[in-house]
Amino acid sequence: MAANMNKLNLLSLAVVVALAGCSDDDDNDYKTLVVNNTLPVGSQQCVNGGTETLEGEDTNRNGELDADEVLETNLNCNDPASSLTPQQLVNLSTNQWFKDAKVKMATSQENIAGIVKESGKAKNIILFVGDGMGVSTVTAARILAGQQEGKMGEEHLLSFDTMPFSGFAKTYNVDAQTPDSAGTMTAMTSGVKTDVGVIGVDEDIERGDCSTVAGNELITATELAEINGLATGIVSTARITHATPAATYAKSADRNWEDVSDMPEDAVTGGCEDIASQLVNFEANLEARFAGVDVDGLEVVMGGGRRHFLPKDAAFNSADAVSAVEGDRTDERNLITEWQAKYPTGQYVMDQAGFNNLDTETATQVFGLFNESHMQYEADRGNDIAGEPSLSEMTAKAIDVLDNNDKGFFLTVESGRIDHAHHAGNAYNALNDTIELSKAVQVAMDKTSIEDTLIIVTADHSHVFTIAGYPKRGNPILGKVVAVGSEEPSLAADGMPYTTVGYANGLGFRNLGDETNADAAYLEAPAVGRYDLTAVDTTSAGFHQEAAVPLGSETHAGEDVGVYAIGPGAHLVTGTNEQSYLFHVMDYAADLVKNADAKLAN
Amino acid sequence: MKLVILSLALLSPLASAAQCTIDSQYMQASYKVSQQHEVDTAVHTQQFTLWRTLSQAAQQDEQLVEVWQQLSNQQLRPIRYFVQDKRGIEYQPSEVKAKQNFSSKQQLVSDELLAKMTLQSERGEGCDKVQKYSLKQADTTIEVSWVVNKKLLESMHITKPTGSQTIILQSVSFDKQTVQQQFAVWDNYQTTDYADIGDNESDPFLAKMINLGFIEHSAPGFYDTNGKTLKGGHHHSHH
Repeated sequence: MAANMNKLNLLSLAVVVALAGCSDDDDNDYKTLVVNNTLPVGSQQCVNGGTETLEGEDTNRNGELDADEVLETNLNCNDPASSLTPQQLVNLSTNQWFKDAKVKMATSQENIAGIVKESGKAKNIILFVGDGMGVSTVTAARILAGQQEGKMGEEHLLSFDTMPFSGFAKTYNVDAQTPDSAGTMTAMTSGVKTDVGVIGVDEDIERGDCSTVAGNELITATELAEINGLATGIVSTARITHATPAATYAKSADRNWEDVSDMPEDAVTGGCEDIASQLVNFEANLEARFAGVDVDGLEVVMGGGRRHFLPKDAAFNSADAVSAVEGDRTDERNLITEWQAKYPTGQYVMDQAGFNNLDTETATQVFGLFNESHMQYEADRGNDIAGEPSLSEMTAKAIDVLDNNDKGFFLTVESGRIDHAHHAGNAYNALNDTIELSKAVQVAMDKTSIEDTLIIVTADHSHVFTIAGYPKRGNPILGKVVAVGSEEPSLAADGMPYTTVGYANGLGFRNLGDETNADAAYLEAPAVGRYDLTAVDTTSAGFHQEAAVPLGSETHAGEDVGVYAIGPGAHLVTGTNEQSYLFHVMDYAADLVKNADAKLAN
Repeated sequence: MKLVILSLALLSPLASAAQCTIDSQYMQASYKVSQQHEVDTAVHTQQFTLWRTLSQAAQQDEQLVEVWQQLSNQQLRPIRYFVQDKRGIEYQPSEVKAKQNFSSKQQLVSDELLAKMTLQSERGEGCDKVQKYSLKQADTTIEVSWVVNKKLLESMHITKPTGSQTIILQSVSFDKQTVQQQFAVWDNYQTTDYADIGDNESDPFLAKMINLGFIEHSAPGFYDTNGKTLKGGHHHSHH
C-alpha cells in the first residue's frame, strides 16, 4: 500500500511540473480547486478507508474540478481498524465457538485476578502423576471420555483440562534424553534433576552402587510436609515400591531395589535399605536424619506390591495371592506386621471389603496393599481375586483420612498403569486408566477448596503414542480412520485400513478381542508392520495398535509433558520449565522449606 | 507306596483308578517330538519335559521353561524362566477359559479335546489302562494314546497333508519331592513383571527383551482344544 501511494504522488508531481510550465507560457489565471473525497473501507486505494484530496485548476471555468483538471492527488489512508462495528462482527458474535471463547476469556481473567499469589497459602497440596501420560494420551483420553458420554468427543474436557493454569515440563534426565520415572519423579518431588533409574538421590550417584548413596540423598516435598506436621499420603495403582511413589519417600541407588531379594549382596552388606523397608521405616529414618525432628509417619499408603513386604514363605500368603509364594523377602521380615506394631491404631487392608470398611473419621493411619504386584488396569479390575478399589475411590478415602489433620496435608497420587498399557502397545487400557485418573482429580477438586488447596496434575514422561491420519470429527478415537464426508475407512497405500492411534515402536498388532489385560500381549513375539484390519474391531479392549519399529516393549518418548494446576500458587505453572521446577511451585505454595527450617531451628 | 497301590488295585479297580490319579498329580514326563514336512523328508526331533503339581504345570526344554499357575479364581498365570540367565518373566493372569486350558497345560491334551475324540480301543487295567482315541477334523487326523487313570499322554500323532507330527512319552516319574524341588529352583530365579520390562532398559537381560523381542516359545500345537492350531512345532525362534 505504501508503495502504491508513493507512485501516485510521483505521478501527480510530474503533472504539476508540466502544467506549471504551460502556465508560465500562456499566463492564464484559473481558479485552483481542492476536493476531498472519503474513501470507504475496502476501497482500492485504501483498504481500511481514508481521504483522497484532489487539487487542480478549473481550466474550463465550470466551477468544478473535472477529472482532466486534476493536477495533484493525495491519499490519507486510515490505520488498520482496531475494532469492528457490531454489524461487521455479526458472523462472529452469533457463532458458538466465538461466544464460548468470550466466556472463557472472562473466566480466565477472573482466574488470574482471583488466584492466591502469596506464598505459603496452600494448606493442602495434591500432586497427581499420570505415569506416561503424554499430551497425545491426554488428547485421546479426552476424546474417548467424551465419546463414552455420547458426545463427538473432541470438545470434551477432562477434569484437569478445566484447571485455570497450565504449562509444560521438560522431562529429560541428567544423563538421558528420554527419561524414566525414577529420575523424573525425583525431579518433581525434590526439585533436583538426576540420573535415570535412581530414586531420591542426585546425579553424583552411580546407579547400582550402594556406596555412592551416602551424602547424595535429597529431601522430598513429602518429607518436608511431614516435618511441618502436615498429614502425608501416597497412593498409586502401581506397586507402592515402584519408581514414582518410591521417589516420594525412599533413597535408592537403583529403582529395582524394591525388596532385599532384589538387591546385590554388596548393597545389602553395604548398609543400603530396600525400598519397601524404607517405606515402613519412613518415620524412623526421617527422625534419624534430622536431629530433634519428631514426626508421626505417613498417614495414608495405598497401592500394590504386597510381595515386597512379605517373607518368601507360602505361610504368609494372603487370600489375594497370585503366586504360589506371594512374598519375595529373603530376610524373613514381615513388613506388614512391623508396620502394625509401629502403628497399633492404624488399619492394614488388602482388598475391596477391607477398604470399604475403613472409617475415615477415626482412622489414624491406613496401609492398603491391594495386589501382590501392580494393581489391575481399571478395565481389568473385575478380574482381581479379592477385589480392589479404583484410583478415584482411593483418592477419596485418602483425602477423607488426611483432612482430619487441621494443619493440612500433602498427598501424592499416581496413576501408574497408563505407562504399562502403553508399553504393551494397548491404547484402550492407557486411555481408560487416564480417564480414571481424570475422575480421581475430579474427586479431589470436589473435596477441596481452590482457596487453600493446590492441585497439580502432570506426567513424568510421554510415550511414542500418536493421533494420526485425517479422521472426521467424532470418529471413534480407537477406530479406523474414516475421512471427512466418508462412511468407509480410508485405505493406506497398501490398500488396507489403518487406525487413528498407533505407536512408533513396540510389540505391534494384537487382536485379543475382549481381553482387558493389556499385558497379555507380551505372550507373543513382536508383530510390527501392517495387518489387514478390515474385519478387526480396533475399539475392543484387547486390540493392540500397529507399531513401526519392532521392540519387545513400546518405549517412553522424550517430548515435554503438560502440567495443569489450580489453587494457591497455581499461577506459577506457566510456560516451559524444567520438571524440577514443580517442586519449587509446591514449596512456594506451602512454604515447605521455610517452615521446615523453622521447625529444625527450634 | 507302590505296594499300597498294588494291593488297592487288587481290591477294587475303582479305588485303584482314583488312587493312581492322586499319585500322578506330581509328575515329571519326558517327551520326544518328531516333525516331518511334506517338502522336507528329514525328520526333526526335539525333547521337552512336562512337570506338574496340583496347581502348576511347566514345559521345559534346554533354554526355556514355561510355567502355568492355576489361581484360586481359576485364572491361569504364566511365567517364563530363562534357564541360562536364571531369570524369569512373570505375566498377569490371562482371561483364558482357565479350566479347560489348564488341563491342556497339565496333560498336553485337554479334557475337551479328548471328549471330542472317538474311543477306538482299550488295553490294560487300573493305573496302566490305556485308551486309544482318534479324531478326524477337516484334513487333519489326530490319534492319541492316553493313560487314562494317570492323566498321562503316552503318544499323539497328527497327520496333515503338509506333514506329520508325533509326540511320544520317553520316561515318566511321580516323585513328589523331585517335582517340588524343581519348581522351587525356578521360583528362586530373579523374576520381573512383564509390565516392568519397558522401564528397565539398563538391565542387560531385559534390554535384550526390549530390543530383540521375546524368544517365542511356540506352544506344541497338538494340544489345542479345537484342533485348529496344529501347525506348531516345539521350537524356539528369535525375532
